Amino acid sequence: MKLSLRTRALIGGVISAFAAVGVGVVLLNSYIDQVVMKRFDQALLDRHTQVVVALSYSATNPLRVNDMVFDPGFERPYSGRYWQISKSNGEVFTSNSLLGEALAETGKTAQITVKDAVAFGGEPIRVASQRVTLEDGTEWGVTVAETKVELTAERRRTQQSLFLAFALVGLLGVAGAFVQTMAITRPLQILRADVAQRWERDEELRANDYPDEVSPLVEDINRLLERNREIVSRARRQAADLAHALKTPSAILRNELTALSERELEIDASLDALDRIDAQLSRSLARMRSANSGFATKSSASVNESVQRFAPLFSAVAERAGKTLQIDCVEDHSVRMDSQDLEEVLGNILDNAVKWSNSQVNLSAAVFQGTLEILVEDDGPGIPEEAKREALRSGGRLDCSTPGSGLGLAIATDILQAYGARLELGVSKGLGGLAARIILPDTVRIAPSVANC
Amino acid sequence: MRVLLAEDELVLSDQIKSLLVAEGRAVDVVLDGDEAHFLGSTEPYDIIILDLGLPNRDGISVLKNWRREGVDTPVLILTARDTWSERVDGLDAGADDYMTKPFNMSELAARVRAMLRRKSGQTNPVFEVDDIIFDSRNGRVSKNGIPVDLTTQEVAVLSYLIHNSGRLISRTELSEHIYEYDGDRDSNTIAVFVARLRKKLGPNIIRTIRGRGYLIDAT
Repeated sequence: MKLSLRTRALIGGVISAFAAVGVGVVLLNSYIDQVVMKRFDQALLDRHTQVVVALSYSATNPLRVNDMVFDPGFERPYSGRYWQISKSNGEVFTSNSLLGEALAETGKTAQITVKDAVAFGGEPIRVASQRVTLEDGTEWGVTVAETKVELTAERRRTQQSLFLAFALVGLLGVAGAFVQTMAITRPLQILRADVAQRWERDEELRANDYPDEVSPLVEDINRLLERNREIVSRARRQAADLAHALKTPSAILRNELTALSERELEIDASLDALDRIDAQLSRSLARMRSANSGFATKSSASVNESVQRFAPLFSAVAERAGKTLQIDCVEDHSVRMDSQDLEEVLGNILDNAVKWSNSQVNLSAAVFQGTLEILVEDDGPGIPEEAKREALRSGGRLDCSTPGSGLGLAIATDILQAYGARLELGVSKGLGGLAARIILPDTVRIAPSVANC
Repeated sequence: MRVLLAEDELVLSDQIKSLLVAEGRAVDVVLDGDEAHFLGSTEPYDIIILDLGLPNRDGISVLKNWRREGVDTPVLILTARDTWSERVDGLDAGADDYMTKPFNMSELAARVRAMLRRKSGQTNPVFEVDDIIFDSRNGRVSKNGIPVDLTTQEVAVLSYLIHNSGRLISRTELSEHIYEYDGDRDSNTIAVFVARLRKKLGPNIIRTIRGRGYLIDAT
């Protein structure tokens, strides 16, 4: 499965945030290291200069250097800050902080050197050493050292603060990526909702309502919708033209056959064949219309409106035959179906029920677990099992030559299956005749509006 | 009874016309929507049979125009458009009945008869006036139970008068309802048909209101 745009954007955002934070941490840490070390070395060199100057004034008594270089660090034992002066004859003078210990570095070159070393007890130190020649011509090795323990601790504290700050920046980066993703994908979410809503209302999407990057997609969707509508409309037109082109000659043939029968000619086989042609034609044309509807168009139809439209017609037909059609309150459910297809289903089922009932036909509708069921019951004889099975088999071949063979039910089945809905035929519990149940699942049903009956 | 048949398929319109003429109807056939609209608006038809897929103007729009103009002639739609939506649309547009092709001629004839009966407020297809019985289903007439042989024109005159029993019918109205649009409407022949009917059915069945027309008393 392809990763969603949101996941991709989030992963990208997180990776870039971590990369930026990682590189930032390394670079900044290195820079801070350099600056701190430079300052540390500079302070070390300054102290070295102080000691050299003090020595130049007290070469005769180097121990006075302790007094001249006033720094508590040089006085406090093992403070980590030391100086050491060594005379060319091997005599060595040290700061009080060394307490008689000696540093290994003694200053062997005229060029001052700064380097890392290890003091007594393994203490890491930074050492600046130089061999200096005083005005009186004497040569001295001057070494100044500073412990690195404090420097290392300081660096660790700085790094910790730095990591914390960058972790915060990283989190902000991830949050930013998330917000950015939401902002970028929001128009797509709106588009999706709009497509669902406007398709149902058969409206076009307005490209200007969307960002520049999304509007070409919207225009493509509009073109696709238009094309779907054209295909459906063309198919229906063709079905209507075909119906007209075939049914009128069929009517002429039928009339000719009737005229022949009046001259006492045998026409039963011909009439039977013509009946089959007519019935198969009706079913094929209905299937042709519905096959191109389905979900190709996102039209919607109101069950209540269709029922109310049919009520006067079927009530009048029933009344003329001395029967009663009772329509129970039908909530105004909308379904994702073309209204003509919905009415074809209702019309065929109601027609069948009124035709075969003895005295009573009931129509009701209810929702069970998200599925809308429209129930049409009658008190007639029902239909034979064989015809029932054949009627429910979409696309099945049907013997249409006898009335009541279920052509209308077969057409209803074909149409419903094109929409992912179905027809169930059973026995009416209340009336004892046929119970035709139109099952419209939640993929077809749209949430109801206000009841209107 | 005069019928307007709007059907663009010549063979079919001939078949229907033959059927209706055999039942004593005067039938005008038109082949397009404009002509149908014109004749339906200007001639006093008793029933109109209307195809929806007519050239020039669609049958539904012709029907809506008639109803808008106050033409209340009963209209039977006869069409290949057989979806239930189209049926309801046709009835909602003002049609009184709807038949889809292919159809049985006998059913068409029965529906035409039923519509004519409804128009005249009758429910029984068999009309009884005194000792005369007129069966509108087959145009047969009997007097005191004995069949009477009538010509097609005589049946047409009797049928119109009996469907409108209790109402005074002028010679002009009678001729408008028994002759086709292009027929020779000689009102003197009406008097001849009435005279023959009186001779065959008895002198009192059709009353003449001098200078105004004819009347069959309502039973």
